[in-house]
This record gives sequence, structure tokens and C-alpha cells, in this order.
Amino acid sequence: MGQKCSQFTEEELQDYQDLTYFTKKEVLQVHNKFKILAPEKVGHNRNAKLPMNKVLQYPELRVNPFGDRICKIFSSSHDGDCTFEDFLDMMSVFCEAAPTAVKAEHAFRIFDFDGDDMLGIADLREVIDRLIGPHRLTDSEMAHLVQNILAEADLDDDGALSFAEFEHVVDKSPDFSSVFKIHL
Amino acid sequence: MHIRSILAPSTDPLDNLAVMADKVFELSPPHHQVQALSAPDITGDRLSRLETHIAQLTASVAALQTSRQPRGRSDSHNFRASGPLVTDAATTDATSGDTHATDRIGAEWSPGSEMSGGERKKRAARGTGWEEAGGEFYQESYPGAELDLEALPRDPHYFATLLPSKQTRAATTRKPSKVDNKATYRRRTSTRQRNTNTMGQHTMPNDTHVAMMPDLSENLANEETTWEEMMLIKAMPVTMAQKKEIKAKLLSADTFRMQGMRRLKWRRRKLWEYLKVRWKELHKKLELWRGSFQNIEGRFGPAVTSFFVFIKWLMLLNLSTAILIVCFVVLPAILIDERDEECLPSNTTTTSIPCCSQLYSTNSSFTMPSIFEVLEGTGWLERTHLFYGAYPYNVLQDEFVFYDLPVAYMATFMVVFGLCFCAILKGGSSGFKERLIEAEGQYYKFCSLVFSGWDFCIHSDKGASSKHKALFMEMKEWIDEERREDDKKNRTRDEFCRMLLVRISVNTLAKLIFVAASSLLYFIIQLSQSELQNDISEEYRLLMEYTPSLCIVTLNIVVPNILHYLVSLEGYSPIITIRLTLVRNLVSRFSVILVLLSSIYSQVNCGLGPDDACVSRSCRSPLCWETYAAQQIYKLILLETITQIAITFLINFPRMLMAKHVRCKLARFLGLQEFDIPKHLVDIVYLQFLIWLGSFFMPLLPAIGTLLIFFMFYLKKFSCLVNSLPSATTVYRVSKSRSMYLLVLLSAFLSVIALMGFTAMSIQPSKSCGPFRGLSTSWSLVEITYGNFPAWFRNIVAVITSSSVAFPSLIILLLLFYYYYILTRENRQMVLVLKKQLVLEGHDKQFLLNRLSAFIKQHQERHKAARSIDPPPANSA
Repeated sequence: MGQKCSQFTEEELQDYQDLTYFTKKEVLQVHNKFKILAPEKVGHNRNAKLPMNKVLQYPELRVNPFGDRICKIFSSSHDGDCTFEDFLDMMSVFCEAAPTAVKAEHAFRIFDFDGDDMLGIADLREVIDRLIGPHRLTDSEMAHLVQNILAEADLDDDGALSFAEFEHVVDKSPDFSSVFKIHL
Repeated sequence: MHIRSILAPSTDPLDNLAVMADKVFELSPPHHQVQALSAPDITGDRLSRLETHIAQLTASVAALQTSRQPRGRSDSHNFRASGPLVTDAATTDATSGDTHATDRIGAEWSPGSEMSGGERKKRAARGTGWEEAGGEFYQESYPGAELDLEALPRDPHYFATLLPSKQTRAATTRKPSKVDNKATYRRRTSTRQRNTNTMGQHTMPNDTHVAMMPDLSENLANEETTWEEMMLIKAMPVTMAQKKEIKAKLLSADTFRMQGMRRLKWRRRKLWEYLKVRWKELHKKLELWRGSFQNIEGRFGPAVTSFFVFIKWLMLLNLSTAILIVCFVVLPAILIDERDEECLPSNTTTTSIPCCSQLYSTNSSFTMPSIFEVLEGTGWLERTHLFYGAYPYNVLQDEFVFYDLPVAYMATFMVVFGLCFCAILKGGSSGFKERLIEAEGQYYKFCSLVFSGWDFCIHSDKGASSKHKALFMEMKEWIDEERREDDKKNRTRDEFCRMLLVRISVNTLAKLIFVAASSLLYFIIQLSQSELQNDISEEYRLLMEYTPSLCIVTLNIVVPNILHYLVSLEGYSPIITIRLTLVRNLVSRFSVILVLLSSIYSQVNCGLGPDDACVSRSCRSPLCWETYAAQQIYKLILLETITQIAITFLINFPRMLMAKHVRCKLARFLGLQEFDIPKHLVDIVYLQFLIWLGSFFMPLLPAIGTLLIFFMFYLKKFSCLVNSLPSATTVYRVSKSRSMYLLVLLSAFLSVIALMGFTAMSIQPSKSCGPFRGLSTSWSLVEITYGNFPAWFRNIVAVITSSSVAFPSLIILLLLFYYYYILTRENRQMVLVLKKQLVLEGHDKQFLLNRLSAFIKQHQERHKAARSIDPPPANSA
């Protein structure tokens, strides 16, 4: 590993270990994965900023219907371009060790397309649309589905899911934490 | 302004600045008061200019607070539980000029025209007493309060983003979160409490005025809390650069050094954390099949992976069982010399136990091992410690050791079965809890489907497209199901009758199939046994030996397919279909095994007294029926494995090739296969069932089973990754599948226990072999051993099990049960009430927001009217 370590000093690794859910070794693994996305750029500058379409080459993100949202959420410049540290943050949230509360926070932001801090009807429709990919639900089916979701989770009956309501749902859904993860 | 000039020369970090600002404010309340009192002298024109200025500033502050980025920004500053309020004030001060000061003035002056005299008086008195002012601060410092009425749009949604609940969410997420959820909540509530404790009614962390509250006590952290906080940074939703900044700030802040015992404790804790990380790393490196799991997960999703995790779990269970048995039964039996009692020729009867044993051991002479013997488990293989027959019945004793093997044998198996039971229960308990939640109607079906629908670990295009399709189907299915529920109510009588008829006939048919399969097997067993009595060639003999097993395996292949077809006629929903298929398949397999076992039983138990002979001659039962039974199961297991291999490689693999390379619709239809979890689950559980069933009479079977399941893992992996496509019709859910596996396993286990219990309690062990020879039943050994226990122990047990103790404890249990029942009922009621209340609160909130926006509109219009009468001198500030 000696060769690969050279891009980071021990303190930096310690920093990363303290600030993410990774161990030092895993941080290096993440960096390798990051490097694969754009070997020449990252080889040059280990914290290079990769454009979003490069980051979306990462296998799990490529097929993920929310890939662009994920990039945008974690990008420090908010345009989807990710530096290594952004990428590390992303992987840290998606790793197994991250607690459900943290995952829920980020999931909420991923699903909140219009950024109004509420999952409104438009957001839910967008989420469903992306989930079913090439297939299409009819309008009435979609409305039915959205209505069902709201009926289940919208506790205060204001036509949108707030974070508290979202977190409650996610807490009760046993599969969330097993689904919301990306392996290294 | 004064304070700013005092603070200007100091270059301390923001924290300290804020602390200083606090102190200065504390020292100079009179000044503040003067400012407040002298203000009314300002002329109207200055006032209006100030007003517009303030409105602009507050608008920008509000915009900063609501937009996403500032949440991140304030995250970084509000992080310290004790210091958020202080630092925040300082940053606002630094970033937006003198918002800090003007804000306050604005709060006091902008509504001047509408303010009543009494209110003004109160405000004037504010500078003197912090306690009294708390409530006022709270009201005034809301960004949505009177001060910025003009700057705000009239949309009630906009107000919603300013609500304290929204603000505290930003606060709570930045003040997260130990590793588990409970801790998070505790922490959240505790921070909230702290806010309210120190600040009276202030719950708004963004409140700038709170900076003036004296809050120095908690600012000084010791090393441990600093470290704890550092561990919490990772949970914050901010960028790495900000995290680093926070960490650096934490490290540079002054801390108390801890001493003595506390220091030691902290050190230990730190070391512990370090070791945990190390262990995690090591574990990850050593974990079996980790790569396989990831590969499967990437293409099939976590639910299918959980099936493979289940296989691994089963393997480990078998391994631990095997280790226990080898240590306590097999090794002692091999290592310690057996003291053989001679069959004394003087003994007139030839049916004593030693004689029978001799008869058994000399019966089959040693031959060269042949492949037939390996396949049948007879001959030399029967002599080995693989089978029950080879274990000695007497106490092993030489100079150094004393080992009562029969007791050890019995005890080990009791422990082993107990452990298996506990392991299954423990594995299944979490699933059981989920089922309970679901049963109470608190399961968020649609929400889970949408929010936990996508498997983020999927990385192959095929997996992704079938996941899309599966989710689509599932959504459609559920919507249809809802409709069907409606239909059910207005389904016509004709349709209902037809449905009922179909279901009843299918059920009858299924039962008929079970009966037919069982009787077919029965006849075949009869046939093979009568053939085996004759003198036949070796090959034919092997064929006959294997006929029952072959028949069972064939039935196991054919029957599920028929059932699969039948269940599709019934028109149940997918989840019920899966369950029904599972139950029927299990019943068919178990019933077939039951027939096999009962035929063995009828062969063994011919109802002859203990002294008559070594074996009953009338029905020609084998000398050692336990070994015989074990051989049957051994054959069954071997054949089952071979069939699995054959099906995977010789049938399903060519099918897959055909589907891939032949461009014909029929070929694709025949060749395409989905990974059908229930089917594979039945295969695995059946294997485990046989292993448990045979293990008592074949102590090394768990060891063999470990190997077989290890091998099965690769077989199933092949059939999953190579032969099948991800299921595009059913969405398997991780939690549900896990509980399903364990439920199925539990049913298999319980049937094994029932069968073993029956065997141990009611069938006489054979006289010529095994550790229990000479006993009336194997269970009687337990009774004898118990009789040898010290009297006091037996007395205690007798007292505990006597009715005088048992009856009251039963009553207490019932009472407890009733208590918890009442408790849950009340809780459920409470949940309903609270839910209703929540809805009402939500409505109230909506109502108030609407009223507020209407009010602002009114206010603005009035202002406009006033201005049009009396035009403002300067519009810009």
C-alpha cells in the first residue's frame, strides 16, 4: 500500500477517519475508486474536482435513478461536481456503519427535488417516476399512489411530508437502512 | 455599535468574541435602556427610512436562514451544544454588518405606529430584567414577526419555512447523533431541554439576541466531551471542509484536562473504540463470502442476498453443532478404549446384550470398501463412527478418565437441539417484531415501497432494469389490490361462488396429490423391501436400495411444479401465493418423509418382548435399526444433493443457454428463469431438515451437512448469477424474507423435535448396537441419570415443579399477560388520539398561517394607502 499512501499524509488520513464512518484503509479504498473514475486527473491532484458526468460513471450511481440528485446533494459547489472529499462524504453516508438518522437526513434531501424542505406532491411524483424508470403509470394511478403515501405518512394533513414525518416513516420501515447503502 | 468598537481590535476566534460581547452587554444595560428611551425622538422621515432599511436587512436574513446553503453554514457554527447561540450571534455580526444592532432597533421601532402605550412601557423596561424580557425576545426575534412584515411575500408556504419546528430540524440534524437512534433522540431532547433551561422560552437557535444571555458555564469542555463531540461531527450534513474546520476549532478550544479515575476511564473508552475499529477491519478481511454477497447484491438486490446470508448462517449453525458433537461424542468414543464384554459361552441365552453386540459386529465381515458401500452407507462404513451403531454403550473408564458416553451422547444432543432452537428464535425475533407492527396496521406499505424501493447497491444494468420493472409491477399490483378490495365488496354472488369453488377444488386437489404421492411412495417402499429380501445381484440391489429415495426425489421435483400451476389458478395476491406455495411444498415434502419414517418404524417395531431375541425374527428387522434409519436418511441426502447438482447444471444451465442464444419465442419462454427464492428456500430447508433428522443416529451428519451446505452455497450462487435473471415480478423485501426463512426453518425444526421425541420416548433401542442398548427407551437413560442426582437437587426440582409453585406462577404469568394486553390496548388508543390531535394541530397551523398572510396583506395595503397620501421623501437607504 506504500505507493498509494503517498497521496495522503498520516494526519489527513486521521482527519478523514475522525470525520467519516471509514477507517483509514477504507478511505484509501474510496480514493482508489475515485481515482478509477478519472485516473489522469486524480493522479495529478488527489482532490481534483470531477464533473458530474464523470462521477456518475461510478457503477452504483450510473444505474441509480437518483444519481444526479446524490451528486448535487453532496457536491460542495452544489452543481453536482464532486471533489474527492465530497465523494468521501457521499460514501461515508452510504456505508453500512452510518446510522439510520444520518441516512434519513440525506435521503430526504435527495428526494426533495424542489428544495423547499418538504416532500410535496410534485416531489413524490418525481420520485415514483424515477423509480419505475422507463415504465409509466397512468395519471390516475399515480394520483392514487401519491394519495396513499400521503394518507400513510402525512400526519398533520398538510399535503406534504415534512422531515419529521419522513424520518418517522423511515424509522418504521425495516428495510430502509439495508437498502440505502453502497458497498465499497 | 459601541460593542463593535470594543471588539474590533481583538483577533480572537468568533467564540471568544461572542463571549466578550455577552459580557459587554451584561455590563452596560443602562446604555441600552437609554437608547431605547431616546429613540422616540426620531422624526417620522428618519423613521421610515430606517424602516425600509430594516426591512431589507431582515429580508436578507430571512432568505439566508431559509435557503439551503446557510443551513450548512450555520451548521458549522451552531454545532457546539453549549455555544451555538453565542457563536451564531457573532457570525451574524460579522457577516451582515450591523444586522445585530439594527435588528433590535427594528424590532422595537418598526411597528411603532400600532404599538400601544402599555406595550411600549414594557419594552422600555426590558433592558433591566432578562427574565422578564425572555418572552418579548421570543416574539420579536422571529423573522416572521412584525419587524419584517413588508419584506415578506404573502404566500403562507413561505411562513411555514420560518416555523420553529423547521428551524429546530436544522438544529437537531446538526447536533446529532450517537451511533444508534435512541441515543440520537435522547441527545436531541436533551439539547432542546438545555436550550429551554438556559433561555427560558427560547427555542430558536438562530435567535441573535440569545447571544446576550450569560451562558459561560457550559462553554468549557473537558477532553472527553471534546472527543465525544468530535465523534459526532461525522453525522453532520456538511461538506468535508466545514467538518475539518469544526474539528480544528474543537481541538484549538480550551479544554479541561481530566484527572484521576475519570481520565483512566476515558482512556479505556478510547482504547475500546480503537480496538473496535481494528476488529471491524479484521472481520471485514476475514468474512466468508463477502465478495460473493456484494456481487449478488449488486445484481439482485439485498433480498436475494439475505437468502445467501441465511445459507451461510445455516452453515455456521451446522458447524457449531458439528464441533460440539465431535468434541463430546465422537472424539471420546474414538480416543478411549472400549471395554468389550465377552459373550460368555457359558451364558445359556444368546440374547444377552454382549452376545447381540457380538452378533452385530461379526455379522458383516470386513470387505474391501466399494463404491456401493459408500453410496449405501453399509459395510465398512457402517462400522465407522459415522453411524450410531459404532458407539459403545458402557462407561468409558481407565486410569485417568471417566467418561459416561451414553449420558454424554444424550446430553450433547439435548444441548445441540436447545442451541439450535435458541439460535432460530433469536434470529427470528426481530422479524417477529416487524410482523407485529404490520399486524397492528402501523406498517407504511406504500411509503416503504417508494422510499426504500430502490436498492442503492445495484450496479448492473440488468439488475437496474428489472428493479425498475419489479417496482412498477409492485405499484400496479398494490393499486389493483386496493381496487380489488373495493371489488370484493361489490363482487357479484356468481363470481364469489366461482372463486370459492375454484379455491376449494384446488385445495382438495392439492390434498389428493399429497395422499397420492404418499401412497405411491408407500407401495414403492414395500416393493423394494420385498425385493431386497431375495438374493439379488449387487447392481440390482443398489437400485432397489435407492428406489425409495429416488421416488422421494422425483416426487419432490414433480409435485412442486403441479402445485405451482395449481396456485396460479386460484387468483391470490403475490404475497399470499408465495406463502401458500411455500406451505404446500413443505407439507408435501414432510409428508413424504413421514411415510418413509413410518415404514421404517413398522419394520422395526414388531412388538416383541425384550428377552426374546436380538431382533424380532418375524419381520426381519435389521440388527441395528438406528443405523438402518440413518442409512436411509444418508441415502436421501446424497441423492438430494446429486439431484440439485443435476438440475442446476443439466437442466437449468442449458435452459439459460437456450434462452440466450436461440432467438425463438418458445425457447425464450422455456429458458428464461427468475431466481425464485421460495423454491430454493425449500431446497435448503429440506436439506437442513434431513440433517437434523439424521443427526441423532448419525452423529457426524452435521459435519457432513456443513460441507454440503458450503457446497450448496456455490451451487445456489451459480444458479442465481449464471442461470437466472432478477425477479421482475415480485419485490422481495429483506425484512420479510428474513423472517420467512426462519419461520420455515422453525417449522422444520419443530417437526424434527416431535419426531425425535417420539423416537426417544417410545421405541426400544436395538440390543446389539449403540450407546443405549439394553434400555427400554433411550429416554429412560435420562430418567436413570436424573435418579442419580443428589437428593437435594431432586427435592428442589420437585418443589419447583409441584403444583403449589407451578399454579401460582401460572396465575402470575396470566396476570402479567393480561396487564400487558391492557397496556397495548391503551397505547393503541393513545396513538389514535394523538394522531387525531396531530391532524388538528396541522389544521390549526394552516389556519393561522393563512390568517397571518391575510393580515400582512391588509397591513401592507394600509401602509401603501398611507404612503400615497404622504409620499416618502427618499426611497432608498
